[in-house]
Amino acid sequence: MTTRETIDSVVKVLGPYIGETMARSATEAHCQKLGIADASAVSTEQLETLLGKLGGGLNIFLGRDKSKTAIGEVRDAITRGAGR
Amino acid sequence: MSGASKLPWMVVLLAVLLYVGWAIWPASALYNDVLSSHRMLAIAAVFKLAALLLGSIWAFACRDRLETDNPARPAWFLLSLGLLSTFAGQLSLAPFQLVLGQTPFPTPGDIFYVLAYPFLIAALLVFLNAYREAGLPMGSTAERALLLAGVGVIALVILRPVAATAGPLLDRILTIAYPALDLVLLVPLVLLLRVALRLGRSEAGEVWLLLLSGFVFLCAGDICFAYFQSLGEEHLDPFVHATFILAYALIAGGAHRQLRILKS
Repeated sequence: MTTRETIDSVVKVLGPYIGETMARSATEAHCQKLGIADASAVSTEQLETLLGKLGGGLNIFLGRDKSKTAIGEVRDAITRGAGR
Repeated sequence: MSGASKLPWMVVLLAVLLYVGWAIWPASALYNDVLSSHRMLAIAAVFKLAALLLGSIWAFACRDRLETDNPARPAWFLLSLGLLSTFAGQLSLAPFQLVLGQTPFPTPGDIFYVLAYPFLIAALLVFLNAYREAGLPMGSTAERALLLAGVGVIALVILRPVAATAGPLLDRILTIAYPALDLVLLVPLVLLLRVALRLGRSEAGEVWLLLLSGFVFLCAGDICFAYFQSLGEEHLDPFVHATFILAYALIAGGAHRQLRILKS
């Protein structure tokens, strides 16, 4: 899955929790910091690091339990997307 | 929003309209024959006390639900303390308002009102720090400098006429202190507004919409109070009651919404 597709999947799942604008800007900022290039494919390791960073931010708004659930939903959505 | 969750907001809206109506039509039969000024003061006192106590309890419950290493946990605790301190201030005014139908100024209750500000300001700063550490976009240094300059200009415009009025020293100090502390509160408030706008109509967005609009009304209430007090326009006090009822209800509503998210 490319970075763009990954970001779109994250935004779709996290939008109802933290809003689409926040989900997109936070994911793009983390991708940039982690050196995940815009057009390239996201490796499993990179994805897990990204989800870890996003989970840390979500904790503040949702608490750990709900944050884990939301990150699980993102992981499922990306896995489904990659399997197509 | 379900019918049951709409009901408290309908009650708050009716209360606000009741006090706005009192300011606009003070001579009407409703405010003279049915609801005397004594009753109106008592109703406002009960509303404020209930909202502040519930807000403090709900904010503390949010703190309790978050993990010990969650950076937002101390912020909810500080918010709870700030609301509790305001509740203590309101409670010390209650005997005057409920029994005598008067709102004396200043009173020992002002100690608690003033004490609430360091807690509220610290709560917003801790929230800001938590969001910054989580990597959320907080704006550039230039934007923050511009914001500080803006608050400085507003401070000059607002505080000048209030500071220029005559009266006992303690009255004047307190009349200036409230809007001045509100302006300090305004700095993290505006920065948090940037974050809140990005949250949109999401679950977290609803929490921040309620909390931040509550704080905005709190600042507005204090500034109106300072102006009406220093300019001798106490007949406009019903507007101040309406603003504070709305402010406390919105902040309590924000804490309640956050608690529902954490419980779900």
